[in-house]
Amino acid sequence: MGARAPAAQTTGTIDVGVSSVRYDGFLPSGAASVSPALRWERPAGILTARGTYLRFESGHRSLQSLLAGSFLIRPAAHRWRGELSGSLGASRYLDFASFWHATADARLLMLGADRGVWIGGTAGRTSYGRAARPVTAVGIGAWMQRSQVMVGGSATRSFVGDTAYNDVVSTAHTRRGPLALDGSLGARFASRGGGRGVFGEASATLAVGERTVLFVAAGRYPTDPVSGSVAGRYVSGGVRLRLASPARLSARTTIPSASRPGTPADGDPVADLRLEVLPRPNGVVRLVLYVASTSAAGVELAGDFTDWQPLQLRRSANGMWETVLAIPSGVHRLNVRIDGGAWIVPAGLTRAADDFGDEVGIMTVP
Amino acid sequence: MILLVAATLVALQAPAQGIDPRLERLDSITRPIVAALVDSARAAALPTEPLVQRALEGATKRAPADRIVAAVRRLALDLGHARDALGPTASPTELGAAAAALRAGAHPATLTELRRIRRESLTVPLAVLTDLVGSGVPVDSAAAAVLSLAAKTRDADLVEFRRAVERDIALGAPPASATAAAAAVTAEATAVQVNAGARQQRPGRP
Repeated sequence: MGARAPAAQTTGTIDVGVSSVRYDGFLPSGAASVSPALRWERPAGILTARGTYLRFESGHRSLQSLLAGSFLIRPAAHRWRGELSGSLGASRYLDFASFWHATADARLLMLGADRGVWIGGTAGRTSYGRAARPVTAVGIGAWMQRSQVMVGGSATRSFVGDTAYNDVVSTAHTRRGPLALDGSLGARFASRGGGRGVFGEASATLAVGERTVLFVAAGRYPTDPVSGSVAGRYVSGGVRLRLASPARLSARTTIPSASRPGTPADGDPVADLRLEVLPRPNGVVRLVLYVASTSAAGVELAGDFTDWQPLQLRRSANGMWETVLAIPSGVHRLNVRIDGGAWIVPAGLTRAADDFGDEVGIMTVP
Repeated sequence: MILLVAATLVALQAPAQGIDPRLERLDSITRPIVAALVDSARAAALPTEPLVQRALEGATKRAPADRIVAAVRRLALDLGHARDALGPTASPTELGAAAAALRAGAHPATLTELRRIRRESLTVPLAVLTDLVGSGVPVDSAAAAVLSLAAKTRDADLVEFRRAVERDIALGAPPASATAAAAAVTAEATAVQVNAGARQQRPGRP
């Protein structure tokens, strides 16, 4: 097939939020945080770099950074995968508490159609301002997808120097349109120096645009002797900004088509004509047409969702025309025209022959 | 198909009852023929709205009468083939998407296999299949990719898969290779909870 790996995708995000947090053994405090993250993905691996700057009510500051990567191995037996990953992190609070850790993980995964199990181990070093301590851990886990919900569970036994503890954790994730919900519930037991008890967290994210996600989160997490985080309870809210816009839903052609020349606009009337299809909640779709020619006096759209009656678009900005319509889920056909000219297919849609000697744009509304 | 032809003959022999008022936009020659085709499709329990819309599309584009009639007739046949492939329980939107996929070159056996392996609606998988072919992916490659994902991949992930293919094609990858690679990634992401150390950070944890 002449395989050529797809190009890597890089995603940048920055979280800005406020929290109310109470670390175990400390007084409650408000905190503001900024967390930039960069994620580089290829089919067989992921590399993530992220940092967090926290400023507490007291004016004290905390800095955390993490570089983590994961690489998948696909052996001949197609139900099995290997995963090698590593994590390198550091954190600092005031001038006296600084941590670093470096760990490597290996996992063996067995896949089913919508479920799987894994077994793995971790080895590395961690330091809390003194001689590094060894880190070892073993774990087993499973996951399963049912309809829109992914659930999972794991059990691990960890050793950090002379500290040892067991964790069992269950997780659930679901996504409905722009809303994603995550939850986890776990317990730490048989612990020597690592604390014990029940912990759990819940978070919700709501996408409000291509680049903006609102989030709220709350819960309690346990001490992590590897990364140096202290157990605490928190409530947080904020916004995640995506630094690069994801691919557009229906971007297809880069060159608009028109089989009949001769629209009234000056020059080439269909050059630089692009339609963006932006589904919104509650079944409505925002259609935005970018028209390079600023001399266009009127832009119309017709499709099977308008009974092929031309619909005048509203000029919302210089060169930008739009409308918001209730369009049912499914595959739809449409064309646009400028100043009463030929019906054309703007860039941004899949083109197909229309049975009438021209072309029609195909749009899918999920 | 035989049923459709028979129904068409019956419908042509009797005046159409309750002609869709939207068809008034057709000329006096085209209108009764299209109405008869719509009636015959109704008699064959096929969705009629796509046929009406195809005729209206022709009218809006000022297509000649014979082209409009041919387009509606061809779509009715495609819808019949789509139902043959998907079975009698297919929804109107599934049939519309399947007709488009067949028109794009998909094999009816692919549609039948999709129905067999996927419990959820086939509308989005079929639309993705049609889109891939429209993007230059060979039909067999597109069908193989969609079939590999359809059983356990949600609509949103299929849309994401389509985006990935589009992105890679735009970056220069051959369409077939881009499709195979993106399908592998999507399947992997669906089936495997991996990347223990590199998962997206849970937002908000201080």
